[in-house]
This record gives sequence, structure tokens and C-alpha cells, in this order.
Amino acid sequence: MNQNLLTVSTSPHILGCTTLRSMYLEMMIALAPALITGLYFFGAPGLITVCLAVASAMVTEYVISLILKKPSTLGNLHVVLMGLLMGLILPPGAPWWLPVVGGFLTVALGMSIFGGNGAYPFNPVLVAWAALAISWPEAMGAYLEPMALGSGDDWMEAETFLMQLKGDIGTLEMFELGNVWLGKMAGGVGTTGTWALLAGGIYLVIRRLIPWQLPLGALIGALGMGLVAVYTDERIAEMGYEEFGAYLNVVWFHLGAGVFMIAAFFLGPEPVSSPVTPWGTFLFGLGVGLMTIIVRFWGSPIDGAFYGVLLMNAATPLLDRIRPRVIGKVVSGA
Amino acid sequence: MPRPPAAAPPQPLPAPAKVYLPMRQHQGAVAQPKVEPGDKVTMGQVIGASDDFEAANVQATVSGTVEAIIEMPDPSGGMVPTVVIANDGADAWSEELASPENALASLEEVGLTRPSRLLKRVREAGLVRSQVQGRPLHVDLSPPMAPQSYLYMTGIPVVRPIDTLIVKAVDPDPPVCPNASLLGEAGDTLAVGVAALARISGAKRVILALPSGVDASALSALAKQREWETASVSQTKYPFANDHLMVLSLTGREVPTPYGEPRDVGVTVQPLSTALDVGSVLLSGRPVMERVFSVAGEVKNPGVFKVRLGTPIGEVLQAAGGGPSQAGKVVVGGPMMGLAIYDLGTPVTRETQGVFVQSGPKVRHYADHPCIHCGRCVAVCPVNLIPSELGKLCEFRMYEEAAEQNLMNCIECGCCAYVCPAQRPMVHFLRHGKTEVMAGRMEQ
Repeated sequence: MNQNLLTVSTSPHILGCTTLRSMYLEMMIALAPALITGLYFFGAPGLITVCLAVASAMVTEYVISLILKKPSTLGNLHVVLMGLLMGLILPPGAPWWLPVVGGFLTVALGMSIFGGNGAYPFNPVLVAWAALAISWPEAMGAYLEPMALGSGDDWMEAETFLMQLKGDIGTLEMFELGNVWLGKMAGGVGTTGTWALLAGGIYLVIRRLIPWQLPLGALIGALGMGLVAVYTDERIAEMGYEEFGAYLNVVWFHLGAGVFMIAAFFLGPEPVSSPVTPWGTFLFGLGVGLMTIIVRFWGSPIDGAFYGVLLMNAATPLLDRIRPRVIGKVVSGA
Repeated sequence: MPRPPAAAPPQPLPAPAKVYLPMRQHQGAVAQPKVEPGDKVTMGQVIGASDDFEAANVQATVSGTVEAIIEMPDPSGGMVPTVVIANDGADAWSEELASPENALASLEEVGLTRPSRLLKRVREAGLVRSQVQGRPLHVDLSPPMAPQSYLYMTGIPVVRPIDTLIVKAVDPDPPVCPNASLLGEAGDTLAVGVAALARISGAKRVILALPSGVDASALSALAKQREWETASVSQTKYPFANDHLMVLSLTGREVPTPYGEPRDVGVTVQPLSTALDVGSVLLSGRPVMERVFSVAGEVKNPGVFKVRLGTPIGEVLQAAGGGPSQAGKVVVGGPMMGLAIYDLGTPVTRETQGVFVQSGPKVRHYADHPCIHCGRCVAVCPVNLIPSELGKLCEFRMYEEAAEQNLMNCIECGCCAYVCPAQRPMVHFLRHGKTEVMAGRMEQ
């Protein structure tokens, strides 16, 4: 009866089917609508930017694993996802070396220096983005007019709505809210398709791959702070905006324009650099939302959502201290 | 995953040629063998006993000759002295038990008998709660004797009489269902058992926790007749059938952890199988010789079996269609909390809840990827711990720091390891950390 050897290990003896690979694959699937929207509006320049970023990130990871004599982690797709996100936030038609350097910095400076997946304190994509934005501000600010709006066959350079808004508040009267949410505006390859990003984000929330508290906090933060900002901004009042509905429209514009959506659903909830506790994730999201609006109204023309995520990344260890009460842990002296 | 048919009546297995009766089937000290090789024993005869209050008597479960007293592996690890009895096939009951005054005649008699007499009966029968190193029933039913040190400064009355009895017909580890398979047994035995449990513990309120989505009309009808409260409990919400969580959700009382027990807050939680055992002990005057449990997982004929105590688990697996292939797993208990055994000769004891079998290729392996801080374990932890952080602390041997983060409150339900995308051995880390913390405190 005992001729068979048996395996002995600790419980649980069954595991769920989620692996790192399946988790990152699903995150990429959630990014697909945004990628498709971006490619529809920005065509070949967009595709080249994304491909270069992904390839550069993968090559960097492979070389680093060779140098460090560690098994390569390309198989779990984490690096591919990071490269994809890097490509999606770059302007389409950027010079070829920009996504290449971006992909390299994401993996080398963002991840490997800190010890790879699981160890980095800041979102690697945004670390690389910050380095690029500081080093080559002109290249990072050169956006294209979407194909559907452009005239003729040539790609035209354009400013994003947020850049125009910074120069002239009158832009608010020119845009169509529908176009903003559809993605018919200048911007990063994958950051303009607001509906697409929202759909992908909701998929992630339903599949419980990101905590729902984080995007909710970001939406509440941006909505609340946006209302405060538009009510206190004299220039908007001077333009004759009086009713609540009109003010709300301005806030809708801010939710759709720029990189807020990709920050709230994809870059903010990046697992390693965001908190784990329920209230911690909510406050993290709230911070991202607040920073987005604050930077847009009172800061530089570059979008604030990324700054928000980087700032809250730094606060993550603190936010992780806000814990739920352990069941059964009875407070003394009650 | 094949599930045993919950409603099917248990399939009795014939008594084996030899039974192996470990001297520890309970939490307390190992019982002393009262027989020697060569002795003739009869069914129900006490063959092991101990003076320890937290130990239970061990009875012979077949009649025959004591062959040897050997060391046998225990599911929880380690060796236990075990009495081996060769079965003579006569199934002759011990003569002391045959006298009718040992038995109760009816349900009414439960109310007339003094609780201390009922308790004595339960203690002599050696009933134990069905989990590995289970607490003997007579301990579970008594309110704490002395103020427990861990209750000081907590605002909870230090000695509190038991006022609520929860009989749970739900199973802690779903595919393994000792309780759900007994839902049909709503006869006098159960009525007597529950009445006796309530009388011994002094509980005024009886709550019957029934699984939702399963036909339990017979039990509901009995509950209505006997004026027990019923509560419907979703079995899919693992680990809801954990005693502490059940006490919290059904009575609103929070059991102080890590050292507390339901009886500290005046509640006792007993599985349906225990209630039936108590009923049968009182009505027949004889100790329980069999255990009803399920064999689930990858066997040919998964099902519910009625097995003589002391039968090697290998023989039960044969009846269910054979053991696992090479490098498979045999788990005593369920897939989430059970203990894997390495020897199919390990006997069925009063602690056995069920057997779960995995074939070699289905055995899952953990990885040594670092924690990616995704927080899925935090979202599923039923006692609101931060398993990711505890796992990291235990991995890097910072046991005291982990204890400060409430490591000892972990109930080892396994939810964190189940959802972990990096497939880290979370429960292994936490369990190891707990052992180290306990060892460190012992040294001081």
C-alpha cells in the first residue's frame, strides 16, 4: 500500500489561477482599447513610438539579467507591460530615440536599480517620464494633431488642450466635450482615449486586479477639487460662466483631457508602488485627483496627474500605516 | 473538482482486520495505555486515559486481542504511541456498558438529569471536537474555570457563563463535508444531542447555522419544533464557518484573539456531527465507534463514508477507488486548511474531518518570487491583517516585528496564499513565524 511516495506541504493545497503572467496579461488586455484608439487617431507614428518603447524595455531587461546573472523575468510580461505604458504616455511621432531612452530608463532606472519587481518605491514608468520631461522638454511637448482632425495627408503639430488653456482661458469655449472624451485631441498615444481608458479601468476593477478605492478616490478628488478651482478662478467667472452646469462642464473637460484617466486607472494603481490598505488606497487616489487639478490651475502646463502619482508613491509607506482594525484584537480599557 | 454528493446517506465500511488507536486524539496530554500486548479487549473498553483535564479517554473500537503498542505518525507531525488491536470480528461490546442504566430513555430525561451527570457521560465517552488536536468536548462545554490572564484589561467580564450554543451544520472547508452530509439526520438523536449540549453548557439560546442553497427542510422543521433559532449561512463564503467569525456574525460578540476561545464570550460552537455523537452516546450509553466523513478530490468514487475509528486512511481510500498516483497528496481535512500526510497507514481518529486527494500532476507548487505588494491578500484576509507585510517580515526572520503587527491573530485560513499572484507560500511563512515567536517567548 505504501509503494507510492506522497507529497507533503503546508496548506492551502489548492491555489487560485491568478499568476503574475496572467495578471499582467489582463492589464495589457485592459489597455488594448486605449491602444487601439490611439493607433486609430495617430496611425503609424503612434505605432512606432509604442513598439520602440516596448522593444527597448525588453532588451534592457534581458541585458541586465545577463549582466547580473539572474534568470530573466521577461516571461511574466511585467517588463512588456511597463514598456507598453511608457510608449502610451509619449507623444506620437516623437524622435526615435525618445521611446528607446524611455524604455531603457523605465527598466534600468525605475526598476532594476531598486532590485526589480516588488522592490521599487516609485512607478518606474513615471520615473522614466520625469527624466525625459526634464531632459528634453521640447521633444516631450511636441504633439500631433489627430488624423481625423488634421488637414490632408501630412501630420500637423499641435498643442494639447491643456497647453492652450494655460496660455488662453478662452480655449474652454472652443473645445467640444464629446471630442475630448472620444480622444479627438492632441496628446500621448494612449492617453487621449478617455472612454477607452475608462472601459479598461472598469474591467480591471471588476476583475479585482486593482483596488476600486483608488480610482474612486481619484475621481472624487479631481471632481471636488475641480469644482473648488473653477468657482474660485476669476477668469472663468469673467467669461460669463455662472450656472453650476457650466462649471461642471469645465470639470468634465478636466477629467477627460490630459493624462488623468491613465493615471487614475493604470499608473496610480501600479501594485508595487501603491498602498495595500483600503483607506490607504483611497487617500492615494484622492491625492492623485487633487494634484491633477492643483497643477493644472496653479502650476506648469505639463499635466499634474503624473506628479500626483509620483508624490503619492512617496507617501505610500505612510498610507500603508492606516490599517483596518484586526478582528478579535480587543482594545484595552474599553 | 468532484464533490461528494452531500445528500447521499453515508456508506458504511466494514470494520478492518486491525485497528490502530493513537493515544492522542485530542489537545491535551498523551493518554496512558491501559492495556498490554496479548490482552483481550471488547468494544468500548477504555484502553487509554489520562489525568489531564484537556485529555480524552480512548476506547477500543473492535473486540479482539491487543497485538502491540507502536509509534505511529500523527497528521500534525511527530509520533504517537498507538495501540494495535487485531479484530476478532465478534463486535462484542464491553460488559460494563451493557447495563441499561447507562442510557437515557427519552428526550424528556435530558431535562431531568443533572448537567454534571450528562457532562460525566460525555467525558467518559471521550468525545473530541473534530479537528486536528481538537479540544475535548467536556472542556469546550464548561465555562472557563479561572479568569484567563489574556482577558485582563480588555473590558470583557473575566468569567462569563455560556449562554449561547451554536450548532453548525456548515463545513469549514467545503469539499470536505462531515456536517453537510448529516443534514438528513434530524431525528431523536439530534434532538437529544442538542438538548444535552444546551443543558450541559447552560445555554439558553440555541442557534442552528444551516448552509444556504442546500435542502435542509428536515432540520428546519426540527428546529421549529424545538424552538431553536436558525441562521442561513452561505457556504461559498470561505472561511465563514471559522468558529470565531461565526460567533461574530451570529451573535455580534468578538472573541479576543490570539488566545481567546468562544467560551470566553459566553458562546460555544459545536458541529452538527458532535451533536449527533452526544445524542447517540446518551441514548445508547455507549461511546462512538465510527466517524462519518467524506473523501473528496481525485478518487474514483468520492463520497461520504462511515468508518470505524482506527481504520488506516489507506483502506478508506481503497474503498473510494484507490489512492493517488506517484507524488500525489493525501490531505487529512480540507484543501484549504488540511494537513498532508506521508503515510497511508495513518489511522482515522475522532479528529478526522475528511480526506482530500490530489494526483501528482495537480499538486500546486509555490514560487519564491518577491512580494509585489498588490494587496490582494489584504482584500481577502477575514481578520483584517496585512498578510503581505507579515509574509515579508517572517521571510526575513523579523519574527518579533511580525508579532507586533498582529501575526498571532492569523487564523491560517489560507485565503492569502490562494489569491497571491506571485504564489508565495504565505501560510507557510506565517505559521513558521508563529512557531518562532512562541519558541522565543518560551525561552524568556
